[in-house]
Amino acid sequence: MNHYDIIIIGGGITGTAIARECSKYQLTVALLERGTDIGIGATKGNGGVVHPGYDPTPGSLKAKINVRGANLYPQLARDLNFGMINPGIFVIGFSDADEAVLKRKLECGIKNGVKDLAIIDAKQMRNREPHLATDARHALYAPTATVVDPFEVAIAFAENAKANGVEILTSQPVTAIEKRVDGNFLLNTPEQQFSCSYIVNAAGNHADEVARLAGIAEYQMKPRHGDLLVLDKDMVNKPQTVMFPCPGPDTKGIACIPTVHGNTIVGSTATMMDDKEAVDNYAPGIQALIDGVHKILPELDAGKIIRTFAGLRPVVLDNNNDFYIAESQTVKGFIHAAGIQSPGVASAPAIAEQVRDLLDNAGLEMKPKLDYNPYREKKTVIADLSINKQDELIHHNPAYGRIVCRCETVTEGEIIAAIHGAIPAHTLDAVKRRTRAGMGRCQSGFCQYKVIAILSRELGLPVSDICLEDRGSRLLCGLVKGGAK
Amino acid sequence: MKQLKYDVVVIGGGPAGMAAALKAKEKGATVAIIERNDELGGILNQCIHSGFGLSYFKQELTGPEYAELFINQVAAAGIDVYLKTMVIDLTPEREVKAMNEDGMLVLAAGAIVLAMGCRERTRGAIKIPGSRPAGVLTAGLAQRYVNIENRKPGERIVILGSGDIGLIMARRLTLEGMQVLGVYELMPYANGLYRNIKNCLDDFDIPLHLSTTVTNIIGHPHLEAIEVARVDENLAVIEATREVIACDTLLLSIGLIPENELSQKSGISLNPRTNGPLVNEDLATDQPGIFACGNVLHVHDLVDNVTLEAEQAGDAAAAYALEQKAVATVSETRPAENKATITIGPGENVGYTVPAKMTVPSPKEIRILFRVRRPLEQAAVVIQAGTKILYQGKPRAFKPSVMEAVVIKPEEINGLNGTEQTITVSVREVK
Repeated sequence: MNHYDIIIIGGGITGTAIARECSKYQLTVALLERGTDIGIGATKGNGGVVHPGYDPTPGSLKAKINVRGANLYPQLARDLNFGMINPGIFVIGFSDADEAVLKRKLECGIKNGVKDLAIIDAKQMRNREPHLATDARHALYAPTATVVDPFEVAIAFAENAKANGVEILTSQPVTAIEKRVDGNFLLNTPEQQFSCSYIVNAAGNHADEVARLAGIAEYQMKPRHGDLLVLDKDMVNKPQTVMFPCPGPDTKGIACIPTVHGNTIVGSTATMMDDKEAVDNYAPGIQALIDGVHKILPELDAGKIIRTFAGLRPVVLDNNNDFYIAESQTVKGFIHAAGIQSPGVASAPAIAEQVRDLLDNAGLEMKPKLDYNPYREKKTVIADLSINKQDELIHHNPAYGRIVCRCETVTEGEIIAAIHGAIPAHTLDAVKRRTRAGMGRCQSGFCQYKVIAILSRELGLPVSDICLEDRGSRLLCGLVKGGAK
Repeated sequence: MKQLKYDVVVIGGGPAGMAAALKAKEKGATVAIIERNDELGGILNQCIHSGFGLSYFKQELTGPEYAELFINQVAAAGIDVYLKTMVIDLTPEREVKAMNEDGMLVLAAGAIVLAMGCRERTRGAIKIPGSRPAGVLTAGLAQRYVNIENRKPGERIVILGSGDIGLIMARRLTLEGMQVLGVYELMPYANGLYRNIKNCLDDFDIPLHLSTTVTNIIGHPHLEAIEVARVDENLAVIEATREVIACDTLLLSIGLIPENELSQKSGISLNPRTNGPLVNEDLATDQPGIFACGNVLHVHDLVDNVTLEAEQAGDAAAAYALEQKAVATVSETRPAENKATITIGPGENVGYTVPAKMTVPSPKEIRILFRVRRPLEQAAVVIQAGTKILYQGKPRAFKPSVMEAVVIKPEEINGLNGTEQTITVSVREVK
C-alpha cells in the first residue's frame, strides 16, 4: 500500500487545481476521482464564465477567492495552453429599480477589487451588441471577464499536476476513511487501499458524504440544479458579450455566453434539488432558458439549439451561500474544499492557494520543488493551423489527414493523441471533451461509429465495451444475427 | 501541398455528386469528385433495402446496386475521384481547400457543384427533456451500425418520428431479431412515404402512434425507459395521456437538414425555407459558378429525383466553366442581354419551391419542385403571378412526404416583367 502526504478526493476543477498547486512542493500526492474521467461532475455542467467578482459580499471568503482566482486566469491560460476568450460581461438593467441594483453591484465590485467596472448606457451597449432588446437601458460592464471550457481547464490542471508527479487515478470512488492512531488516514476504494497524512475533500456535490466517511458532520449539502442550452456556431447575430439580466435575490439569472469555440451557451436555471444525481434536463427549465434569453436577445434563433445539458452546483446549506474551505473542526489533517458553487470556475485557482495555506498551517512542510514545470504543451488542433502547417503535419503523420468529425474538423491523429494522452480518454465523451469530436451540430451522428472503432483499436477492447461515459453506458450490444465477426 | 485545376469540381460523391460529375464530363469538362468517405455512393451504401431506381432505371434496385451503376460509370468516364478527402474551405473565387492522408490539396475550379447531402436532426434540436444516457441515437446512425458495422444498438427499440429512415429501420431491426415496440409521430399524419408505412410497419404489425411524442428520457447511465404522451391539435401535451415505456434504445427519425456550413464559406445565400442554397432554374447559387443539387439543396423523397436534378446541375456547371474558359481565351465579353430575374415562392399550403428564382424570358420550360405543408385530400396546383393565374392542375391528393413537380412552359412566363413580378406556387383545396 502506498503512503502519500496528501490525497485529494475529487477530480473536478477544484480538485485538479489543488493537485497542481500541491505539485509545486516536495510532496507525494494522489488524486482519487470516482468517475471514469476528470471534470465530469459539477465541472462539466457549467457555462464556463470566469466571473470577475462583483457579486460576492465584500469581506466574504468568496469575494476574496473569486477576485484572486479570476485574476490568475490569464497567466494560467498561457502557461497551460487552454482556450480562453475575453468577451466581458454586461449585467443589463431594464428599469430604475434595476439601475439601483447595478450601482450597488458596481460598488460591491470596486470594494472587492474588480478592475475597470463601469455603468454604461444603452447606446454604448448597442455599439457592441446591436441586437440587444430595445428596452435594455443600462448595464454594469465588466470588461475583464473571461470564458473558458471548464473541463478543458480541469484536464489541463490534472495533466500539469501529473507531469509534476501527482498520481491522477480515475474510477476510484472512496468508500471508507479511517483516521488511525498514528495520525494517518486509511482510504478504501472498491479495488485499492491508500494511506495518507492529509486529506483534501474536493468531492463536489458529495463532499458532505465523503466527510461523513471520516466521521465529520460539519455541514450538509444539496445541489442547485441548472439547465443549459448550446447553440450552433453558425447562428447569425451571435452575442459577443456575456449578457446577464439584472439579477434576482437568489440567482444571477439566465445569460447568453459566447464560448471559446464559437458556440453560444444559454444558462442557467437555478433550482434546489434533493437528488445529487439528478442531472436531467427539465422541460420547464428549457422553456425558461429560451424565454429568458429572448428578454436580452429577442431575435435569438432557438432553432439553432444543438444540445441541452444540465449541471448541479454544490451548495453547503446554512453557509450564507459561501464556500466551505477550512480544516475540519474535529478531525485534524482533513481539509474541506466544499460548497464550491458559482463562481467555482473563477475561484478554483485561488481555492488551491487557500488549501495550500491550510495544509501549511496544519503542519505540512511545504518545500518548493526545484524542478517544478508550470507549463503544459499546446495540443495539436488541426483546424487552428495554417495550410502549410497542416500539410507538414500530415506528411509526418497521415492520421492528421483523416477527418473523423466533420462538424468540428477533428482528425484521427487528434483522437489517438487524446486516447493516449497524459490523462487518457477512454470513453466517447472523454474523447469529445478533449478533441471536440461529436461536439458539433450533428452531435456525433456521423462520427460516433468511427470514434468507437478508434477507441476499440487503440485500447484493445471489443467494440461492445466502449462506453459513452459512466460505467454501464455501453453504446452497442451484440452482433446482428448471422453477421461475421 | 498539391495544386490542381479542373473545369468542374464536385463536392460529395453520393448519388447527386456522381450524376452531376458524369453529366459535366459528358459535356466535355474536366471533372473531379471529392468524397470524404472511403468509397463513392454516399448514404446509399447503407440503404440495403430495395425500392431505388423505379423511375430512373425502371427497375427495383437496392441502395448499393443503384450506387454501383454510377460508380462503374464514374470509373469508366475518366473522372478524377479523391476518396477519404475532406473539403475544409471553399472561397467565392471557387478555390477548394481539402485534406486527406497524403496532405493538403488546393483545387482551382471553373465551376463547383455542391452535393454534400444532409444530416439528421438530433435530440438537441427538439429539446427532449430527461437524462442523457447511452441508447439514444439517430435512425441513420443505427442503420450504419446494423447494415455496415454489423452491430445491434439494443434489443427493445422505440422510434420517434415517422420519417422514411425510421420506418425502414423499424423493419430492418425487426428482421434482425430486435423488438420494435412502436413508432411515435408528433403530427397527425406520417412523414414517410405511404409505401414505407405499408411495407415496413403494417406488414410487421409495428404500431404507428400519431399525434404522440416522447416527453421524457429516463435512465442513467443507459436508457431504461421513455415517457410518451399524446398531443392536442396545437401539439400541446395532453397530461392525462403520459405513459412510460421500458426500452433500451430510442431511435430518432425526426427530419433531415441540408449540410450547408461549407457552402456558406463561399458566401452563397441560403433559402430559409429549405436550409439549402437559393438557386435559379439552372440550380446556380448567387455566387457565380457555384451550383447545388441533391439533398444539400433540399431534402428529396426518392434518389431518382436526386439523380435527375444533379444531371441538370452538372450540365449547367460544365456549360458555365467551358463558357468562361472560352471567353477568357478570346478575351471578349458577352453582349448584355435584356433579361430579368423573377422570384418563385410558396403560396397556400406549399412549404417551399426549388428554384426560388428564374430568368425571363426563358427559352425552355422550367420544372418547379415543391412539397405541401400538410396532407390534402382533394386539391390542385395553381401557379400565379400576382392575381394572374398562369397554370392550374387537375384535382388530386397531396402528401408532405412526396416531392411534387410542376412544369411551367415558356409561353406561360415570358410575358412577365421581372422587375415587379413574383410567381407563387399554391396547392388549393377543391371542395
